[in-house]
Order: sequence, then structure tokens, then C-alpha cells
Amino acid sequence: MSADSESLRERIGTDMIGPIARRYFVSNGFDGALTGVGVTVGAYLSGIADGLTVISLGLGAAVGLTTSGVWSVWEIERAEMRAEIQATEDAMLTDLSDTQVEREKMSDQVVNALMSGLGPLLGLVVPLTPFLLEGALFTLFQATLVSVGIAVAVLFAFGAYMASISRQRWYVAGIRMGLAGVVVAVLNVFLPG
Amino acid sequence: MATIRQLVLDVLKPHEPTMLSIAQEIADTDGVDGVNAILIEMDEEVRNIKFTVEGDDIDYDEVTTVIEDTGATVHSVDQVACGDRIVEDAPTPQD
Repeated sequence: MSADSESLRERIGTDMIGPIARRYFVSNGFDGALTGVGVTVGAYLSGIADGLTVISLGLGAAVGLTTSGVWSVWEIERAEMRAEIQATEDAMLTDLSDTQVEREKMSDQVVNALMSGLGPLLGLVVPLTPFLLEGALFTLFQATLVSVGIAVAVLFAFGAYMASISRQRWYVAGIRMGLAGVVVAVLNVFLPG
Repeated sequence: MATIRQLVLDVLKPHEPTMLSIAQEIADTDGVDGVNAILIEMDEEVRNIKFTVEGDDIDYDEVTTVIEDTGATVHSVDQVACGDRIVEDAPTPQD
């Protein structure tokens, strides 16, 4: 592996994708995966006949959550960035427009907003893939089960990833996160309607 | 006009970017051979740094542009050495 790609991996792991972006990514990815479980199990229980309709429903939810993730974080981070820059400007008695300070904060704002949108997009879209094979490889019931399994695996990956940066046991953190997917699926089955 | 060979600048900067990266950016400027940066004072939001810049032909405007682009400001020019060689400050009895 070249030094450049090692350096890129290091940046993605630590500096470039900062702790705030990681939190947004995992938090919103968690939302996305659990929403996906709710949509797929709910769609199956409501008697939807084909996988493509489930995918349409899921993509609708993905568009909503991704837009929400990007938009809300953009606005939140913009306000925080302005507040931080104004505090520094007050201390320095100078205008920091178009300086490295502003450019770096803007770059953080973009990364945070993108990661906030990427989390729910992955969390929701990846578990929908079994419904593409509904009719060819799976029945609708099997596709729903596989989809819940993939969502649980995505949640497990989120947990394991967070554990890897915080020196927890990755499988324990993964199981704790993955369990939420199972709970949502079971709640959907037993809740009235 | 005589070339600038040494500059001592009193600079006020936010905590980020670091003193290290600003010193590197100044050192990358044409005509600059070396930079020394030393922390004079640290406040809650800002740091006061003394930059000593040496080179064969320092472009003052370019150095200040680089510094200001980082978000820092040059408070004052505390020492300048111009000409074919650097002349040190001569001690006098009054000192």
C-alpha cells in the first residue's frame, strides 16, 4: 500500500472525518436502519404484494431522511460556525472572512452535512436490496427477513465501528446496536395495526 | 531598493491554524530561508506569536498576505534588517 493511500485512510479514520461528522453519520445511520426495518416489516404486514413497492416506500423514506440529515446539519453547523467565528473575530478585532479559519470551518460544515446524509442513506438503502430479488430468489416473506437481517448487520457495523475508535469490545458494541433492529422488527409484528 | 533579510513580526492569531502551519507557510514563501516562531502569550481565543523571518530577499507584502490568509494579523513590525547582510542591534551605554 502506498504512503498516500495510508495517509488517506488515516485522515478518513481520524482527522478529516472528525468526531462530529462520525456522530452524525452513526446517529442518522441508526435512524435510517431502524426506519428501514419499520418500513419493510410494516409493508409486509400490511399486505403489499411485490418487492418493488416496498423498495419505492423505502426509497421515499430514504429521500426524506437523507434530506433531513443534510439540511438540518447544514443549518446547525452554519449557525455554530458563525458563532465560533464571531467569538474569534471579537477577540481579534478583525474580519475573518475568506481566511483559512472560515474556509476550514466551511469545509467541516460540508463534511458534517454530507456524513449526516450518508448515514441514513446507507442505513436505509442497503437493507432494501433483497426486495430486488423478490420473485426471483426470495418470496416477499423471505426478502423481509433477509432485509431485517441486513439492517441488523448494518447496525452491528455501526456499533463495531464506534467501538473500534473507543477501545470497547467491537462485538459487544455491535450486538448492542444490532439488537435495536430486532426490537423494532418484533415491535412492528406485535403492535396493533 | 535594498532587500529585506530579517523581519521580526508581532502576530495575533486564533488557536487554529497552528503556529506550526503558519510558520511552514511563511517558510514556503519566495525569498524566505527560515522562520522562527515563539509563543509570547496565550488567551482564551487567541495567541500572540513572535515570528522571526530570515532570507535573501523577503517580500514583506507576500509574508503579511500569507499570515493574514491564515486569519492572523500582524500587530507590529518589531525589527527589520535590510541590505547585503544582517546587521545586529548594537549595544549602547544607554542600554
